[in-house]
Amino acid sequence: MANTWGYGAMTNHFGDIVGHSKAIFVIGANSAVANPIGFKHMLQAKDRNNAKLIVVDPVYTRSAAKADHYLRIRSGTDIALIYGILHVIFKNGWEDKQFIEQRTYGIEDVKKEAEKWTPEVASDVTGIPAEQIVQIATLLAKTKPATVVWALGITQHSVGSSNTRILPILQLVLGNMGKKGGGCNIIRGHDNVQGSTDMCNLADSLPGYYGLADGSWKHFAKGWGVDFEWIQKRFFEPKWMNAKGFSLAKWYQGVLQEEKTYSSSPIRALWIQGTGITSMSQTLKVKEALDKLDLLVIAEPFVNEAAVITDKKDDVYILPACTQFETEGSVTATNRSAQWRSKVIEPLYESKSDEQIMFEFAKKFGFYDEFVRGMMMGVKEGKIQQVKKDFVWPDDASDEIARIIKTIGLDGWTAKRLRKHQENWHMFDPITLEGKGPMKGEYYGLPWPCWNENHGGSPILYDVDTSVKEGGMGFRNRFGLEHNGVSQMADDKVTVKGSLVQGGYPEITKDNIEKVLGITLSDAEKALIGANWKVDYSGIIEKKCMEKGVAPYGNARARAIVWEFPDPVPMHREPIHSPRTDLVAKYPTYEDQKNNFRVEVKYKSEQQKQDWVKDFPTMIVSMRVVNLSGAGMLERTSKYLSHITPEMFANIHPDLALSYGIRDGEDMWLHAPHGTKIKVKAHHNVSVTPDRICLPYNFAGVFQGVDLSANYPEGTKPYTIGESSNIITNYGFDIITQISEYNAGLCRVEKA
Amino acid sequence: MSEMARMKFYCDDKRCIECFACSVACAEAHELPVGISRRKVVTLFDGVEGKEISTSIACMHCTDAPCEQVCPVDCFYIREDGIVLHDKDKCIGCGYCLYACPFGAPQFPRDGAFGHKGSMDKCTMCAGGPLETNSKEERELYGQNRIAEGKVPMCAAVCSTNALLVGDAEMVSDIYRNRVASRGKNA
Amino acid sequence: MKKIVYFFIATLALASVAYAAESQIWGEMRIPNILGYGQEQSLKLGEFFTLWQGHYITTIFLGILILIPTVFGIHYLIIGPKTFSHEGKKILAFSLYSRIVHQIAAISFIVIVPTGFIMVFGSFFGGGEFVRICKDLHGVFTIPFAIVVIPMFLMWVKDMFIHLDDIKWLIIVGGYLSKVKNPVPAGRFNAGQKTWYWLATLGGIVMIATGATMFFMDFDIAMVKNITGLSQIDTLRAAAILHNLVGFAVVILFFVHIYMAVFAIKGAVQSIITGYMEEEEVKILHSSWYRKLKKQGKV
Repeated sequence: MANTWGYGAMTNHFGDIVGHSKAIFVIGANSAVANPIGFKHMLQAKDRNNAKLIVVDPVYTRSAAKADHYLRIRSGTDIALIYGILHVIFKNGWEDKQFIEQRTYGIEDVKKEAEKWTPEVASDVTGIPAEQIVQIATLLAKTKPATVVWALGITQHSVGSSNTRILPILQLVLGNMGKKGGGCNIIRGHDNVQGSTDMCNLADSLPGYYGLADGSWKHFAKGWGVDFEWIQKRFFEPKWMNAKGFSLAKWYQGVLQEEKTYSSSPIRALWIQGTGITSMSQTLKVKEALDKLDLLVIAEPFVNEAAVITDKKDDVYILPACTQFETEGSVTATNRSAQWRSKVIEPLYESKSDEQIMFEFAKKFGFYDEFVRGMMMGVKEGKIQQVKKDFVWPDDASDEIARIIKTIGLDGWTAKRLRKHQENWHMFDPITLEGKGPMKGEYYGLPWPCWNENHGGSPILYDVDTSVKEGGMGFRNRFGLEHNGVSQMADDKVTVKGSLVQGGYPEITKDNIEKVLGITLSDAEKALIGANWKVDYSGIIEKKCMEKGVAPYGNARARAIVWEFPDPVPMHREPIHSPRTDLVAKYPTYEDQKNNFRVEVKYKSEQQKQDWVKDFPTMIVSMRVVNLSGAGMLERTSKYLSHITPEMFANIHPDLALSYGIRDGEDMWLHAPHGTKIKVKAHHNVSVTPDRICLPYNFAGVFQGVDLSANYPEGTKPYTIGESSNIITNYGFDIITQISEYNAGLCRVEKA
Repeated sequence: MSEMARMKFYCDDKRCIECFACSVACAEAHELPVGISRRKVVTLFDGVEGKEISTSIACMHCTDAPCEQVCPVDCFYIREDGIVLHDKDKCIGCGYCLYACPFGAPQFPRDGAFGHKGSMDKCTMCAGGPLETNSKEERELYGQNRIAEGKVPMCAAVCSTNALLVGDAEMVSDIYRNRVASRGKNA
Repeated sequence: MKKIVYFFIATLALASVAYAAESQIWGEMRIPNILGYGQEQSLKLGEFFTLWQGHYITTIFLGILILIPTVFGIHYLIIGPKTFSHEGKKILAFSLYSRIVHQIAAISFIVIVPTGFIMVFGSFFGGGEFVRICKDLHGVFTIPFAIVVIPMFLMWVKDMFIHLDDIKWLIIVGGYLSKVKNPVPAGRFNAGQKTWYWLATLGGIVMIATGATMFFMDFDIAMVKNITGLSQIDTLRAAAILHNLVGFAVVILFFVHIYMAVFAIKGAVQSIITGYMEEEEVKILHSSWYRKLKKQGKV
């Protein structure tokens, strides 16, 4: 996504789907279960606009049950399907030629690849009938605007980063980008996932997608009021400052060192705060790593089952963190909107809020002053400097974020404004997000980019028919000015509404601002201005851009070729553990990866180690159950929610189950290629076909058949425990993001 | 709402996605024993392509309530607004209302010295019971009385897809009629 | 005796099934139950039950409660009770075993029938704790009856088959419409007693089964389905209907039985207490048996 057009986030929003979408193409998302309220908007679009709902999923989900068209795809073949659709579109000349010509780069290469994917070829790979591929391609081509919706079913693959590019490409070809009712709507699975992504709670970037380059560190050092050198000294060696850390998906290798790692030291201590690591793949490895750690600290409102699956007896600490109801601040919704949350009650018992825990932590380690100084900073006379002696939580934290994060335009997200939106949410239109009365000129939650304190936010990304002031913009200029001699700027005919600069333009820097905007800076301005719009604390670049109706990040082309990636144009590659040995030969996975997130990753060597499907003939598909989220440790402590799914189960087609002599409700063992197994209840169900089974991932507390009840601290055992499906989630990681391949894999069924 | 308003539930099965919000919120709000679902969410033809359908069911507050007709101790009463309620102090747990109910709404939490059926429990449309409105006793026996506070019943308030409609029968049918009418437009 | 033990164990087992789990009737079976309600192919037991329970059952019980005692009152006033000499010899009619069995059943009935009526007229009593206790007593006192019903059936069954005398007895209504003490054609038990016997034992078992079904509500569905071919809810509905219909007959004959034993034949109740019947009573009311005993030289 971000590599296609600049930002990796939902481009439109739910109200927009209700108001304008005529077709909704849902792939790798089961919103009815994962986002019931989000799904309401699709149902409303069906009711109000007679929008056609198309659901692509390996199993017949609750969302599929509401669809006009259901495509039963084989896991991990999304790229093949989209190429099949693109093939039909190109063949019939249904692509939006003007859009492609003026606002994209590299679609020709996509077209060339698509030529191979006739509906018949795509059908053979995906398992979807060729006629249905033609039907859906026709529907998408003829029904505009159409929106594409996806979630983790797309990202959690060894080809996840190609998946997330092929879908934007489809929308570019159809010309659905930057349009009401169109766009790519990626749905976040939990509250504030967009927020934590924007804050980059990741191993490879500073907050706001700044990456780890020295320039970024320097920008933050300024914003935090600390010396760059001081930060640098806190690293073992300066080079680690710019190196990605271990990822959540493979951190355990930092402890176990079974695969080659590239780090200054093995991991010896682990601090877990706000993630259910039992819902990560390779759970056995996670367990072994936890066992081997010197120190394990968990700070959560509920007992993280990391503390339960480990046999580690000493040096495991569980700190009580309070819930969101006991603290205050802003969260970010899936559509880039901020929402302010008030404290409902004081933290219960001895629990502490996340920030308090962090403050205490910083005090103990002696960097509290540096830790909180960012909240006391401000921009005075165009310079960032400390402006006060104390801070107010959480307002000053929000203001600090607004001050520093310019990449995604959080400049306008001051605490004061966000509080105002919370208080006046009844003054906004749910379909357009436009404010009324006193809130006129603002969109609800100020969806980023919100360029400054007077900007109303941008509800729909890349909409050139709306002025920058009202939330319009072109694609972001993020990948240089030209590639292979082709300009990456938008065509001269693409002028953002109200822009005084005609056609495309690059991202604005100190060096090009005068030329692009056709202005002259005063000497004073020149002295204050930052190197580019992303690090310009003075606000001069943003101010001058707004005056000219220009988006600081440029007006460029979306690119279909990502030249830095192993597959510049997305290519179908079979999952690491594929049921189709014949296709593995034709569409093999990547070469093994030497070092990504400090660890080597196997691809081809694992895929071609043996003919996996011989011993493991059944595909695994993961699913979420509506009453449990993530690792489920929160919901399984509710008796009512637990009661809905009182035990771990697997949906299995009666034909498959009975061929192993497994009756409905009986136990079965599921064996994974890497030698692990889980014992679960067979739930005869025809939502799955006999070639695959479907497992919820929301359980823990039973490990390979062993009940771990005794490991729960007294009084903390949830109402239900069960095998974690991720014990058998197959080996496999995305080549770029290293996200685990949760959604494609193989297993062997055995009667228990 | 007119004086002649009759309160009704309606669950739009084209909207219901089996999210269990109504059922769980109901249980939480009224602190029901586990295993008693005043409102139950069900899916028929689970996994069958093109046939699967989900809906939420509870007491339908029938106009000619069969439960009220068969009760040997006359513990039922129908409010002016059509909400069918009952007096748990009168109920003897005989089960007749369950036999008569077309929707399986009456349920019997285990109770008493022999652990058999206690006083019947069913959806009150969040209108409590015959005890003093919003008293502690009413809350304990019948759950919250949201209607008295001018609030929508819990289940409909939390419905994630607006499938579950509640209110004056005519208003509910108007909403539903509009919804159905717009389906199939712009085809 | 073994049989009794088995039966008792079975009853307990049934009860423990009910304790074991929460009800499937509003759990997993709820939808099949709803779908079954009033459908064309279904037995429409739900509607039938609502109609009967809603409109007729209480009235019929009220009718029985008023009508039968009234008839007896008129009979008592016009024809009056039969009195037999207590001076003559006594004939052993009931062994100690049969008396104990009968008494257990009798005590059960004396509790079960009135509490049943209290439930039927529950609204008259205002419902609540009193009626609830009666409901519990109704159930609890079924246990002793359930224990003795099989022994009672076995101990008398050989005397209870239909006989030519029974038809004659029925034609003259057992001679109760006349004040004259003519010998009445009857063996050890007359046709009236036989009817009561069959109803109290076989009908009693039906009452126990249907009553227990309603009381415990939860059974092994498969077992129920095998026996009745009905779903659980329809089984319950059928049980309620059957319980009431058989109840009509049981209540009527129970009243007759009490009237006969206590009022219509003076001192007759003594025979089931002491075991001995007046010789004259046997001679008149059980003439065939008397002849038989005479032939055997037992008189």
